Amino acid sequence: MKLTKARALVIIAFSVPIAIELRTVAGFFNIDLPLIAIAVIEFLFLALMFVLYGLYGEGSESAS
Amino acid sequence: MATASGPARTFVDRFPSEAGVIKANLLVSFVALGIGAFFGLVQALHRTDILRVIDSADYYTMLTGHGVLLAIVFTIFFLTGFFHWATARSLDRPAVSTLYSWAWFGLMTTGTVLATIAILGGLVPNLGISADVLFTFYAPLQAHPIFYIGLAMFIVGTWLAGADWFLSYRAWRSDNKGERIPLQMFMVLTTMIMWYLATLGVAVSVVFFLIPWSLGLIPSVNPLLTRTLFWYFGHPIVYFWLMPAYMMWYTILPKLSGGRLFSDPLARVVFLLFLLLSTPVGIHHQYLDPGIAEGFKFIAMTNTMFLLLPSLLTAFTAVASMEHGARQRGGEGYLRWLGALPWRDPAFTGMALAGILFAAGGFSGMINAGMNINYLIHNTLWVPGHFHLTVGTAVALTMMAGSYWLVPQLTGTKLYSRPIGLLQVIMWFVGMVFMSNAMHRAGLAGIPRRTAEPQYQNFEFLTPIGSIFELRVQIALGGTLLFLSVVLFLFNILLTSLGEESDRPVDEYLPEPLSGPEGSPRVLDNLGLWTGIAVVLVILAYTLPLAGIIQNGGGLFGGGLPIPATVSAGLDFVTTLVTTTVNTLLEVAA
Repeated sequence: MKLTKARALVIIAFSVPIAIELRTVAGFFNIDLPLIAIAVIEFLFLALMFVLYGLYGEGSESAS
Repeated sequence: MATASGPARTFVDRFPSEAGVIKANLLVSFVALGIGAFFGLVQALHRTDILRVIDSADYYTMLTGHGVLLAIVFTIFFLTGFFHWATARSLDRPAVSTLYSWAWFGLMTTGTVLATIAILGGLVPNLGISADVLFTFYAPLQAHPIFYIGLAMFIVGTWLAGADWFLSYRAWRSDNKGERIPLQMFMVLTTMIMWYLATLGVAVSVVFFLIPWSLGLIPSVNPLLTRTLFWYFGHPIVYFWLMPAYMMWYTILPKLSGGRLFSDPLARVVFLLFLLLSTPVGIHHQYLDPGIAEGFKFIAMTNTMFLLLPSLLTAFTAVASMEHGARQRGGEGYLRWLGALPWRDPAFTGMALAGILFAAGGFSGMINAGMNINYLIHNTLWVPGHFHLTVGTAVALTMMAGSYWLVPQLTGTKLYSRPIGLLQVIMWFVGMVFMSNAMHRAGLAGIPRRTAEPQYQNFEFLTPIGSIFELRVQIALGGTLLFLSVVLFLFNILLTSLGEESDRPVDEYLPEPLSGPEGSPRVLDNLGLWTGIAVVLVILAYTLPLAGIIQNGGGLFGGGLPIPATVSAGLDFVTTLVTTTVNTLLEVAA
């Protein structure tokens, strides 16, 4: 499936509530995640999305 | 009416007069949205102590403006415009009288201007006019009389608008005897019946108590009575906001998904359930009010839980319709079909994201509705967190997204920018996730709502995860994103309306449902019957509580301290009232 800009944007949007609630979920297992850890995880996810978009996004050779 | 192969003419070509009325309604709605959103940004930055440009004493003026302009003016003017469109489109006929349509629009607008002047007057101390009463405007807070008079004019305007659509329906019915009511028209009619029933409470409160009290004609009011009359109207107004969003989810979202509505009869049942159940539940907003017996509160809670049913039915129908659309577009698998949906289209994406956050709002609403668990979060920041997910997203985001599809039909132009529209709806989603999540968590920590200075001396709020500072930053960030989203929306809509005319600005054809009305019983269309049942339910839910409040709270006009009411006190009052009335009638007859 082609990764369009719209799909990438929607996936990034969905990552925000997941990132925010990640600390709550980790708290259920007595894991105390600091805010900076969440920021790093979200940043890594965004970087991954950019890489995937470059590889499989609109206009890339893989997509065509 | 347009068909699949369809004439190229759009709504504005077929109904130019109606398009003018609708555009005027949307204009007022969007101006209110812009001002209200700006007030929201100022508040978010103020109470989080990020940026303070107003005095804390003016916070309530801004809060009232934010609530009234967004929750009442933006939503209801959008509704009246949208219902006017739905009536003309679904009946395929113009309104009975354009002049009459402009009359109700003029009355609503005049009322809005008066109420807004009263609110903004609070920012000018020497003016002697203010209305810092918040959007719930019940006693003991008192506003300038022009605020209440403006509100009364606004409400009467909506009544006249409803009459306009009923007249159109009557004209259609005389030409189409025996036919099923078109689905969108059915939704308009059931919503307006619910509105007529619900606004009786606020009309009585404003006309008989608040206006005479603010003019000094009566010395006092019974605060609990005005609160109860407000919430009699205050909960169904939630569904008055939601019904246009539901109508879009039922009739427009399936088409945008590439499919068809899953079930027409299910949609009719849902709207009837809202007509029946929306009004007799308002007391669930008053769980902490003394003077209302706990038994009545328990009954209100039970009724409220029944209201989950139509919302769950809607979730099922909307998702089923979207899945059908995705599969028509080549989507496969259990979940992979989600990728086949038209995420590029801001109208679709906005409505879908609004629906998702509405589910979260529904869950937090169940906490509000639970009588004992409500005590944990009552009057905390949890509550605004909840209604920013419901009215602030399910309704507002659906209305904005729907505008990307609706406005081009009214202007005859193409949408200025789909990418900006997409960015706008996603920005709203992300901003609201930040803001409402932090509000809910702050509420659980006990932070109060409706205050510019949410701190207590020698008291520190504690959160189980993270810190209060993080929550404040999250609220400020979310509020800023939401404001920027509104700016993008207004910019996109303005440039759309100023664009060049197009032969076919938008595909406005709405396909027939997969399961049409022919398979459902005709009794669903018997609006008289459902109205009667709705009235009976309201009488059953409110007669005894109101009787108890009047008897124990110092009569109709107050003056005495309220004492905790009991079910038996309410029964005694009603029994005495009925007995006296019957005896009087018998004496007169004799």
